[in-house]
Amino acid sequence: MKTVPVAFAMLAAASFPALAHDVPENIAKAPPAGEFKAVSSLVKLPDFLPGMGQLFVDPASLPAGPFLAYDHDGAIVSTIYMLPIKDLNPDKRFEDLAAPGGNVDHVDVYYNAGHPGVEEPHVHVVLWHVASSDEAKVAQ
Amino acid sequence: MIITRRRVLGYGGASLAVLLAGSARASGDEVIEVGMQGNADGSHVWFDPVGLHVRPGQTVRWTNRDKGNSHTVTAYHPDVFERPLRIPAAAKPFNSDYLLPDEAFSAVFPVEGVYDYYCVPHEHAGMVGRIVVGRPAAHDAPGSAGADLVPLPDVALDGFPSIEEILARGIVRRQA
Repeated sequence: MKTVPVAFAMLAAASFPALAHDVPENIAKAPPAGEFKAVSSLVKLPDFLPGMGQLFVDPASLPAGPFLAYDHDGAIVSTIYMLPIKDLNPDKRFEDLAAPGGNVDHVDVYYNAGHPGVEEPHVHVVLWHVASSDEAKVAQ
Repeated sequence: MIITRRRVLGYGGASLAVLLAGSARASGDEVIEVGMQGNADGSHVWFDPVGLHVRPGQTVRWTNRDKGNSHTVTAYHPDVFERPLRIPAAAKPFNSDYLLPDEAFSAVFPVEGVYDYYCVPHEHAGMVGRIVVGRPAAHDAPGSAGADLVPLPDVALDGFPSIEEILARGIVRRQA
């Protein structure tokens, strides 16, 4: 009688991380693999940005991104795209933007006045990979 | 012009900043504080105060109070990013480069006149400021430009308090 629950528990424990976020291992924890660089190593910004977390980006993908955001424990929390407002017009498209961060729980879209790296007003499109209640992990 | 740059430890300077800014015209020796501000999601950024009237020789210190962003204080001058001249012709331009949170930059203003400045990554969001030193003549109003210089966006031009308002009030603040 005990073997079935134990086996199920072991199976669940082994598979839950993948089911929960479906995040590639080389992306799930900071620093992400590949061409991603810490944003703070590319431009003069704090390493951890309140409300977003620690950001990494492939410089070749600027300005749109994706930017991968991680919490203080190095776990991925969101994928962020930064779209200059002047580029949101009939003559410009953002297509086939990479989305390596796994399952999306919810999405935020909001205006940003600019910062080093994207030095003009733009829109942040945030694909949260965690529940709204866990956004607090990157609040400060 | 004398410029310095340093890191401010903690927030001890915040209350001091308010006190000093409140006395911008009261006496000539103290450092006048300007905060580089931003709200939590980065949708609003501004200099606080946006307008100052100071005496010749006074020092102004800008401190980045925005935990989530970097800012600059950069004079409009052809020698700095080829921008129109909007400080007195006899004054030297200033440029802090990027300041991380709690970092500060200071400049002394010995030359009378009107000084317009901006934040490099936020000019297009209207983050500009103006300092009036002494009692400049009417013809000292900024605005000269050359065809080969990068003009100011309208949102920046609209962000400067008028010289008259600064002279009348001493300190001009904007709502966040």
